Amino acid sequence: MTTQMEDRSDADQPPATADAAPVRAKDRILPSPVTGQELVLVGVLVVLWAILGFATPAFLTAGSIQPLLGAVAPTALIGIGMTIIIVTGGIDVSVGGAIMVCAVITAKTVLVNHHLPWIAAIPIAMVVGGLLGLLNGLLIAYGRVHAIIITFGTANIFQWIGLQIFSSSTVNGIPNTLQWLGNGAAGRTAGVPHSFFITVVLAGIAWWYLRHTAGGRHFFAIGGDAVAARLAGVRVRRRVMLAYVITGLLVGLGATIIVSQGSNLGQNVGAGKELAVIAAVVIGGTSIMGGRGSVLGTVLGAILVQTVTSGVTQLSWPSQLSDLFVGVAIIVAVGADLVRERARRRR
Amino acid sequence: MSTPSLTETAHGAERKERKSPPTVGGAESLPAKLLRSLLTQRVVLLGVLIVLVVVVFVIMGHGDYLTSPFDTDSMAAALINAVPLALLGFAELLVILSGRGGIDLSVGANVSLSGMLFGFAYGQWGWGFLPALLLTLLAGAVLGAVNGFLIANVGFPALIATLATFYAYKSLAVVINDQKPISGSEIQGLYDSTARSIELPVVGQYLPDFPIGLFLFLLPAMVIVWLLLARTTYGRRLYAVGTNDVAARWSAIDVRDTRFKAYVLSGLISGLVAVVTVGQFASARPDAGVSGNGMALPAITIAVLGGVAITGGIGRVAGVVLATLLVVWLNDGILKSFADNRGSQYQLLALGVVLVFAALLNGVATRRYGGSR
Repeated sequence: MTTQMEDRSDADQPPATADAAPVRAKDRILPSPVTGQELVLVGVLVVLWAILGFATPAFLTAGSIQPLLGAVAPTALIGIGMTIIIVTGGIDVSVGGAIMVCAVITAKTVLVNHHLPWIAAIPIAMVVGGLLGLLNGLLIAYGRVHAIIITFGTANIFQWIGLQIFSSSTVNGIPNTLQWLGNGAAGRTAGVPHSFFITVVLAGIAWWYLRHTAGGRHFFAIGGDAVAARLAGVRVRRRVMLAYVITGLLVGLGATIIVSQGSNLGQNVGAGKELAVIAAVVIGGTSIMGGRGSVLGTVLGAILVQTVTSGVTQLSWPSQLSDLFVGVAIIVAVGADLVRERARRRR
Repeated sequence: MSTPSLTETAHGAERKERKSPPTVGGAESLPAKLLRSLLTQRVVLLGVLIVLVVVVFVIMGHGDYLTSPFDTDSMAAALINAVPLALLGFAELLVILSGRGGIDLSVGANVSLSGMLFGFAYGQWGWGFLPALLLTLLAGAVLGAVNGFLIANVGFPALIATLATFYAYKSLAVVINDQKPISGSEIQGLYDSTARSIELPVVGQYLPDFPIGLFLFLLPAMVIVWLLLARTTYGRRLYAVGTNDVAARWSAIDVRDTRFKAYVLSGLISGLVAVVTVGQFASARPDAGVSGNGMALPAITIAVLGGVAITGGIGRVAGVVLATLLVVWLNDGILKSFADNRGSQYQLLALGVVLVFAALLNGVATRRYGGSR
C-alpha cells in the first residue's frame, strides 16, 4: 500500500501555498485528468467495435448497441461505488446479495404488491441499498475486520433476506412503472437508454468529487496510508463507512434498472454480479491495493466486459466463451498496469 | 489486500499502547483463563460451538422439532459434505498462509475443469481409475501453477489473478464438452466405490456407517497437509513468508518459490476434490464447482472461521477441520428443522452470522490479548 504511493505521495497533499501560481500548483498536485489505462481502454474498445462491426454487420446497429448500453448501466453504476471502496483499500463482495434484496423489494413489495409510482420506488430501493451498505460500513470501520471477510459474511445474510422475500417463487407480472429506465422505446432518448445517461452523469459527478473536493481526495489518502491520513486529520472511519453507503445507494439504483428491464425477476438476480463489478473496476485501472483508481476507467471497463459478452454471442460462439475473454482481459489490463507502475517506480 | 484492515493500521498505534502483556502463571482466575482461551484459541471456541450445536439439535430431535432424528448415524452421514469442503478449506489455508493478500477464488472453477478432464479420461477414453486420478491431480496442479506464476513470479495481486483464472477455467469447463455433463457406467460405479457409506471393519457394528470418501480422501489429505505444515521445512518457510516476506527473504528463503508452491498445492487439492465431486454426483458436471455460490466462497469462509488470518502466516489444520465439522452439522440440523426448502435459505443466514461473529471476535481478541491463534 505504501510502496504504491511512494512516487506519487505529493498527489494527496492539500493545496498548501497560495502564493504559488494557482494553475501550476493544481497541475502539480492533481494526477492527470485521464489516466493511461483509460486511453488504452478507449483504443481497445474502438478496435474491438471495429472488428466486431466487420465480422458481424449486425453489431454496429441500434438493435445491438442499445441493449449493450442498457446492460452496462447497472454494472458501471455499482462499479462507481466499488471504485471508491477499492480506492480506500477495501472491497465489497456482498453487492450481488445486496442487488438481490433491493431488486426483489422493488419488484415484489413496491411494484407488484403496492403499485407505487416510480418516484417512490427508486428512493425506496436506494434507501434499502444504503442501509445494507451502512451495515457493511459499520462492521468494517468499527469492527476492525478485513472488508473481504465481513462482506463474505454479509453476502450470505443478504441472500437469505432476499430469498425470504422471494419466498420460493419468481416475481411475475412486474408493471412497467419503471419503463422510463428500461430498454423499451420509452426508455430511450436519441437512441441512448436513459439508464446509460444516468450512469454517465453520475460517473461524471463522481469523477469531479474524487478529483476536486477535499472529501474525495480523503479516500485516496486513506488507501495510500490510513495511519498517515488519520494523523493528517481525515476521519478515517467515517470516510470508510461513507464509501460503503455510497455503494449501497448505487446498488439500489442499479437494482431498479435491472428490475425495469423485464417483467419477471428470477431468484438468481445479482448472482455473480460482485465479481463482474470487481472485474470492471480492475480492468479500468483501479489498484486493488488502494490509493489509486478512476471511475471513468471503471465505466470503460464495464463497457469492455459487456462488449466481449455480446460480441461472443453475436459471432454465435458458445456464450460461455465470453468468460474466458473476460479472464484474459483482466490479466492483460492489470498486467499492463503492473508494467507501467514498475516503469514509473524505476524512473 | 496485502495490508491488514485499514482501520487496524489506523489505530494500530493506539492499540499497542493499550495492550497489556498477557499475565503468565497462576495470577489469572479460572474464569479469566477460560475466557482467554475461548477468545484467543480458535480451536477451543470451535470445540465449544460444535458441542453446543450438537446438544441443541439432539434435544430438538428428541422433542420432535426436527423432520428426521439428529443422531450419530445422521451426523456420520452428513460427513459426506465435509469431504470437499474441508479439502478446499486446506487449499485456502495454504494460499492464505502464504501472505501478501493470498487467496484463491479459482478453486471452484478448477474443480469443474479438472472434473471434466477426469470425466473424459475415466468415462470416455477408458483409462483406469489410477491413471485418470493422476491425470486429474496433474491438471489441477497445472491450473494452480498458472495462479502461482501470475502471483509469485509476475506480481499480480492474488485476488485479481485468481478472479481472472476463475472466469477462464469456468468458461473452459463449460465449453470443453459443449455444456454437457459426462456420465457413464464407470462414473456411476464411482459413486458406489467412493461416496457410499460403509460399515467399518471389526468395530463397525458399534459405530454408525461412515462415508467411504472420508477415509479415501479426507483423512489422508488431512494427515499430509498437517505433516507438511507442522513437520517439514516447507511448512516453516510458508509460515515465515506469510508472516513477513521481507524478513523471510533476508533469512535466505526463496519467497517466490515458496509462494508459488502454495498455489500449486491449492490446485492439486482442487484436482482431488474434482474426483470426489464426480463420485458424489455420479457424473462430471461442467458447473460442478461454480453453480450457485460456487465452492470457493464456502471454502474461504471455512478457512477464516477456522482461524486462518487473512493477512497470512496464521492458521492451523485443526481449525479448518473443526470449522468444517461445525458448518456441516449446523447445516444438517438446520435442514432438518424445516419441512420445506427454507432450510437451505437459513443455512445461508447461519453461515453469514457465524462468519461475521467469528471475525468480530478476532477483533476483540486482538484488542484484549494482543492477538489470537
